[in-house]
Amino acid sequence: MTNDFKSHFDAVSARALGELLPGERAAISYSAERSSFMRFNNGKVRQSGVVEQADVGIKLWKGAKSYSIQLGLTGEAARDEDGVAEAIGQARALMPLLPDDPYQAVPEAAESSDARYPGKLLPEAEIPARVLGPAAGLDFTGIYSQGLVCRAAANSAGARHWFQTETFLVDYSAWLANGRAVKSSYAGREWSDAEYAERLASTRLSLENLGRPEKALTPGKYRAFITADALNEVVTFFSWNGFGERGLRQGESAYIAMREGREAMSPKFGFSQDFSLGVQPAFNDDGELAPERLVVVRGGKIENAIVSSRTAKQYGVPSNGADEDEGVRSVAIEPGDLPEAEALEALGTGVFVSNFHYLNWSDVQAARVTGMTRFSCLWVEDGKIVGPIKDMRWDESLYNMLGSKLEAVTKERHLLVESMTYEKRQVGGSLLPGILVDGLSFTL
Amino acid sequence: MRSDLRRLLDAAAAAAKEADWLGLRRRRTSAAYYMARDGAFDQAIGGVDDGVMVEVLFDGRFAYAATPDATPAGVARAAASAMVCAKAAAGRGVYPFSQAQRPGTVAEYRTPRARMAPVAPDGVFAFLLDSCAALKASDEVIQTTSIVEVGRYDFEIVSTNGADIEQALHYMGTGLQAVARRGDVVQLRTANGPRGLTRQGGWELLDTEALLADARRTGAEAVELLGAETCPSDRRTLVLTPDQMMLQIHESVGHPLELDRILGDERNYAGSSFVKLPDFGSFQYGSKLMNISFDPTIAGELASYGADEIGAVATKQLLIENGILVRGLGSLESQARSGVAGVADQRATSWNRPPIDRMANLNLEPGSTPLADMIASIEKGVLMRTNRSWSIDDYRNKFQFGCEYGTLIEDGKLTRTVRDPNYRGVSSTFWRNLCSVGDASTFAAFGTPNCGKGEPNQVMFVGHASPVCAFADVEVFGGGK
Repeated sequence: MTNDFKSHFDAVSARALGELLPGERAAISYSAERSSFMRFNNGKVRQSGVVEQADVGIKLWKGAKSYSIQLGLTGEAARDEDGVAEAIGQARALMPLLPDDPYQAVPEAAESSDARYPGKLLPEAEIPARVLGPAAGLDFTGIYSQGLVCRAAANSAGARHWFQTETFLVDYSAWLANGRAVKSSYAGREWSDAEYAERLASTRLSLENLGRPEKALTPGKYRAFITADALNEVVTFFSWNGFGERGLRQGESAYIAMREGREAMSPKFGFSQDFSLGVQPAFNDDGELAPERLVVVRGGKIENAIVSSRTAKQYGVPSNGADEDEGVRSVAIEPGDLPEAEALEALGTGVFVSNFHYLNWSDVQAARVTGMTRFSCLWVEDGKIVGPIKDMRWDESLYNMLGSKLEAVTKERHLLVESMTYEKRQVGGSLLPGILVDGLSFTL
Repeated sequence: MRSDLRRLLDAAAAAAKEADWLGLRRRRTSAAYYMARDGAFDQAIGGVDDGVMVEVLFDGRFAYAATPDATPAGVARAAASAMVCAKAAAGRGVYPFSQAQRPGTVAEYRTPRARMAPVAPDGVFAFLLDSCAALKASDEVIQTTSIVEVGRYDFEIVSTNGADIEQALHYMGTGLQAVARRGDVVQLRTANGPRGLTRQGGWELLDTEALLADARRTGAEAVELLGAETCPSDRRTLVLTPDQMMLQIHESVGHPLELDRILGDERNYAGSSFVKLPDFGSFQYGSKLMNISFDPTIAGELASYGADEIGAVATKQLLIENGILVRGLGSLESQARSGVAGVADQRATSWNRPPIDRMANLNLEPGSTPLADMIASIEKGVLMRTNRSWSIDDYRNKFQFGCEYGTLIEDGKLTRTVRDPNYRGVSSTFWRNLCSVGDASTFAAFGTPNCGKGEPNQVMFVGHASPVCAFADVEVFGGGK
């Protein structure tokens, strides 16, 4: 496999675009990675290995017909050019059999970009010792991943975009014999043994709170301080039945009542799509660039929906360079005025929520979500930590959690990088504060 | 193709001479996806992916390297990389593995198919457009979508201890959805949930007559739900149809029984389990009516296969018998680590991820109660159909699930339709309240291709078959803010 993904992309995309006949247009998306993974349990290596992979997406348009191709690549340009050309040939034979596409949105964007973020990563042969060695004595479970990740796009209008980043991530939890755990991570582009040791020291300190007797709560409404880590789980709901224009128009969005003025979030709450975070590219699979910053919710009201070119064509509204699924990328929630250091005092008596788990809708149209507390959630009385809580189910409308019950938002925000690795190592992240909620509904 | 793979095996073995064992696992996936929305074209996608995972065993530790470069040079490089990983973990392995966890199995499996020749795209879209029309029950239906996804997975495994496995799994999924709106009320109804109707088979699964009937019913029920009252909030008997039972089995039986979760591998991501290793053989998981089988031998159910991806031969096994937990969902690796009996379930999402413990077809065996008798025996209850929401804690105890469509049961009769039905409970308490299991006439198989688990993350196709079941004294409730 190639050691130069940029040249590989250039060759594959040039071949795909060069094969087009008069009247044909195309958009090329590309991703590639060379990654090392080490999964660990109880401080031991469970599975370890390396993965190298690359793939290309080709959207092809001819007349009123549209067709998409998704190909895994070998990483050898000559063989992959062959494969791409053959796939385009097969698509040509198939496209006349498709109905016309009424909302065909052929990209006209022709910008270029090239962003490269080099890293200083661990030698593969040193990964177990450097990651697990400093965690000796901990029941230490999770995954270490590192390596180069690339994303690129091009189209027949002339757009050319390249993004590559070398990153590492230790995504871990440390466990006590009583089944309680502290969840944390260490991520970046340049590995530092000293920074990692600091993170582990903080984890060991946090574990001390979890050794105290566990408090079982009865169902009811509780004051809750929701950390940035926990709030990150809620951010998923801005994309799932979320703020996409198509879902708002076609009944699938949870925020139709908000769009129509029947509901609102708190004036204290707002968020943007903000690519200045530098964690993922602003271009989409069609080579279209999103604005660097797009306010989605301001003062509790929707200011902009997320709009793809296809939806723009269907409804006659402007596109803002969204992906076809109209998910929100690079979310930045506006900060508030509560100093994080005063969070426990402001909470008074209630639950300090370190992490949420497994959120899903209770009622989409009411933006009502259920989920669990997880890891090191703590019971707090008069601003002092009492001990861990027994995990509780909660069930609350986001119009309450981020609306009428939202008491404060922290001044400080944390950059949480994407940790998902379904199919490939994902890029992205969010800049999030913590929030103080009065009366979160715990149900089971 | 396996002759090619054996040639690659030689190249890999030559590059990793110190390995105690070496295996190659090739996976080729080809798929097509067609979608219509509101009676018009929306998407047509075709794709192929192909690659090889080289795995080595060195000094009791497995390590892997995955590459799409299926040439002698490509797999040789991968084998050398895998050796670096295996050596780097010296003294830190979670268990001293051996070749016993990679048997030299020889096996073949192919999905039985009645119709092997594909329907051309214009034929597929003719169905999709017709089904959108059938879903459009009235002007109150504001969105219709219809999907056909079809594909095949080709697996090949060879190893230095003689494994020689070839499997070709063919699948098809259909999706029908209607969204209806009246004033501020919006309701979504699908045929058996998002991607729930995914099965192994050939093009005979594109049974357009039956699917169009489903589409008409789905659209009509979306409109019906607009005028329905919300589900009451109280405790009552809950009856679940197989397209919700699949989710109930999956989340509150399947995942808790996975030995890798019980051993702690998943604690940082998917979670652990309330089940402990000593529970096997004695734990009363559910009522005596509960019989759960791991059965990868049912033709047509989504996760049928001949052997798992480390070479364990797949056979039917009872995991819960008359309510007692007797066996775990654990592979040869997990069985060695735990000392608990398991099944052939170590599978991977593709060539680029290592196999881990996975459900295959996990089914609830039919009972003896006709549906009419079950309903007639219930004084106060609710029947819920089709999963729409799922959430459960990381030990698989406290769950909350939601359905698309509910019907009240009053004095032994199905009466009024209710919308936004949800229920919550604790897994083993819930299963111990299993009070009636439908007969074979109520038994149906469903499957989903998107069960998420593992670090690095993997999705997996799983099948679940069940009869209609009734559970006593369940907390149910409706929607609203």
